[in-house]
Amino acid sequence: MDLQEKLQILADSAKYDASCSSSGGKTQKMPGLGSIATSGICHSYSSDGRCISLLKILFTNCCIFNCLYCPNRRDNEIKRACFTPEEVCEITLNFYRRNYIEGLFLSSGIIKSPDYTVSLLIKTLELLRHKYHFRGYIHVKAIPGAREELIKKLGLLADRMSVNVELATDPALKLLAPNKTHENAYKVMKYIRDNKSPQFVPAGQSTQMLVGLPEESDWHILNQSQNLYHNYHLKRVFYSAYIPVNQNKLLPVLNPPLKREHRLYQADWLMRFYHFKVSDLVSKENPHLSLLYDPKESYALSHLDEYPKDINKCSYEELLKVPGIGLKSAKRIMSSRELFPLDFRDLQKLGVVLKRAKYFITCSGKYYLQQSFLAHDIKAKLIPETKSRQLSLFDEEN
Amino acid sequence: MKKTNEIYIYNDSFLSLLVLIKKLFLLNIIPFNITNNCELNLFNPVISLNLEEDDLIIKRLIDNLGKRIVIDLYYIYLSNHLKKEMLIYYFLLYSTKYHEQVYNLRRIGVINDALKASGYVRRENHKFKGFLRFKKLKREVWYAEFAPTNNILPILVNHFKKRFKNEYWLIKDVKRNIVAFYDKREVYLRDANMLNINLEIAQDEQKFQELWQTFFKTIGIKERQNKNLQRQMMPKKYWQYIEEVNSEESDY
Repeated sequence: MDLQEKLQILADSAKYDASCSSSGGKTQKMPGLGSIATSGICHSYSSDGRCISLLKILFTNCCIFNCLYCPNRRDNEIKRACFTPEEVCEITLNFYRRNYIEGLFLSSGIIKSPDYTVSLLIKTLELLRHKYHFRGYIHVKAIPGAREELIKKLGLLADRMSVNVELATDPALKLLAPNKTHENAYKVMKYIRDNKSPQFVPAGQSTQMLVGLPEESDWHILNQSQNLYHNYHLKRVFYSAYIPVNQNKLLPVLNPPLKREHRLYQADWLMRFYHFKVSDLVSKENPHLSLLYDPKESYALSHLDEYPKDINKCSYEELLKVPGIGLKSAKRIMSSRELFPLDFRDLQKLGVVLKRAKYFITCSGKYYLQQSFLAHDIKAKLIPETKSRQLSLFDEEN
Repeated sequence: MKKTNEIYIYNDSFLSLLVLIKKLFLLNIIPFNITNNCELNLFNPVISLNLEEDDLIIKRLIDNLGKRIVIDLYYIYLSNHLKKEMLIYYFLLYSTKYHEQVYNLRRIGVINDALKASGYVRRENHKFKGFLRFKKLKREVWYAEFAPTNNILPILVNHFKKRFKNEYWLIKDVKRNIVAFYDKREVYLRDANMLNINLEIAQDEQKFQELWQTFFKTIGIKERQNKNLQRQMMPKKYWQYIEEVNSEESDY
């Protein structure tokens, strides 16, 4: 099998992993090829509009596990391939020098045992780091169940390490991935959390959850995210709309729920940067995010008694709760209003999306619209804008 | 300050522009325009002051105003804004009075425009850290071409100086016909006509371009196809020098 075909097979097997970020690392002052940009760099965008930052491949797509949702599961009759460590280095270095990529994202199916698989990954990264002095970004998948000293060795070679929790709840995982357990994943996450240092996984850890498998609501998923951010100090949780690669009565056959995935990312963002809690967004009784309104709009519409907020008086935290006001514009409002009171025209220049914010704010007591502040009115007016915006970003579901 | 209808001439360098503006401040003049284009103008008097250029002025500006403001001034200078000189004039004027508080004065039209121009340069520079494509030429020289909207080559080289510090490389801005080359120590910016580059590609170049095409085509998920989003993130105006999308386009 030639290198072209191998790359085709092993990139194809890796493409469902959502993570492609290259941020958070730090360049170490050592001679060699490459550097790391703290903010991360996108090198290209694939036909699905996702950023390509890293050479995302599996070391091998052979796997002894038989997870129902996975294209590489043991029982699937697909073409299998396996790189050699030298081949991975050759492609990575040559892509990097041409500025195609920011680094390598290496994952793998499980061959023989977790220990054996991890030792192959270690061999590859050692070659890349020590023989070729590669200083670019490396994201590697940790394999749960591997011995701790191997995980340690692997982490010393990578900028970021991740373990996928795959599903939010234990019963779902047990049902769909009988070889995997959350305990094993948490064990590795805990190890990474407690050993973070400039040498060991300096860019921290991330994980991924599938979206759209039955029985798991947004409430389940977001609670799991909150747990992971809070207890394991993850840098990112990625959400991946399930694409029906396998046939099974336990699996959905619908098109991937892209809009739902998008809403989860928005909710995730609100939790990490906007001081929102899961309970502000979904509840056991109301377990799904609205597809019609974005999560912040939904929050505002169901807490109308907290609005309108006055731009020149309310706190930073309150500004963040206004739809159409982002982190940057909230900061700008805070520092600008010290100099002079702001009016609606100023807000536009500060980057506020007025067409959404106008319903929820006053400027020194003045409301933007002629008519008064009425709930059903706002609800109706927000819809068309939201809808047209979504349609341009994502195709309608189903 | 007195508004005039005069146009002032500088000689196409950041330093020259700063020296002129400082002089205009001293003379209390708000010019009609500042330009490096000496063409005669029928309606406005064109004035050249022939000032002495001392680069101490930049150091003094950094001491007085801080690095952040001077960097923004330079970024505005690199922008393709038609009235960038006047944006620099006003940004410097307000910075002298308000220092870092100038960043909270977006309600003033020129300051808002100035910060937008500098932000555009900053963002475009960041994008090309990713979008630039190198080819391997004979004798292990790496070569890239691009046509950015703003004149970002002078700042973009700083990134590649760190990234490819042990390689020989060249980057050509095709639109402005300038080339940056790096000799493993320093970066030099030159008029492209002054250099004679042998563009013959290395033997293994084709192989890796093909591998990259394979990877690029494979990594996109069919069920999620979204060409609008792709174009939104990677504007078409840049495609000519990005092989993987440029050749993909011809597939349709």
